[in-house]
Amino acid sequence: MKITEFYIYAMYLVVIITSMLFIVKDYYIIGSLLILGNLVPGYAMANSLMGNNEN
Amino acid sequence: MFDEKIYRRFNHTVAACFVIYFLFPQKIMGLERIYLVILLWIIILGIEYLRLNKNLNLFGMRDYESDRVAGFVWFASGTFIILGFYEMGAFPQSLAVATIIMAAYTDPVIGEVNHKLGDRWGLGIGFVCSFAIYQLIVGVIFYSVLGGLIAVLVERPKLKWFDDDLAMQILPISILSILWLSGIGPDLPETIIESGL
Repeated sequence: MKITEFYIYAMYLVVIITSMLFIVKDYYIIGSLLILGNLVPGYAMANSLMGNNEN
Repeated sequence: MFDEKIYRRFNHTVAACFVIYFLFPQKIMGLERIYLVILLWIIILGIEYLRLNKNLNLFGMRDYESDRVAGFVWFASGTFIILGFYEMGAFPQSLAVATIIMAAYTDPVIGEVNHKLGDRWGLGIGFVCSFAIYQLIVGVIFYSVLGGLIAVLVERPKLKWFDDDLAMQILPISILSILWLSGIGPDLPETIIESGL
């Protein structure tokens, strides 16, 4: 389960770095799409992750 | 234990980040960037081989995936085929970017809406989602409507050897590219991202 947790954190990192790179390169639509599309599942995943850590 | 369904959805939407490929320089350490894709594909196929032979236990797999190719392999294969054909000049970059992002988002959206509101709503909202993504990236109504329609129609049939994760990428981009290349479809912006980080 530790590996899965690490993988989830890596996914957050991938989303943040990729969308930032697109925004820095002035590709605002693609950068915003990457953030917006991952916002809801990313938030739900964070809640699940926190619930798991509390247990 | 994490919520498996949320984990699968998040995995799916993160796959949109594959479009970072278009920012990579044409050559990486002297090798064409497509070799990076081939390497990643081999790694994914290796992981899947181990999983199917019960040597590797991956979290978040569906029960029916225990003896068949998993969704993440189908999705990655679809994306890598798109990137390969793009490098060969068969697919325009704008359609490739839009299709990868569209497939990463629309499939989980349809799944969630089907579950909460029913199949008809799933089709409708799935179409709106894919139409919006094509329109924001490609910006040509003809391709947005057609791409959206094809995407939601090919999501429906559940076949063991042709998963919707692959179909939702390959079929829309192939049909739209044929229409564009043959001159039947209107012109579109061919390149929208300049390579080079």
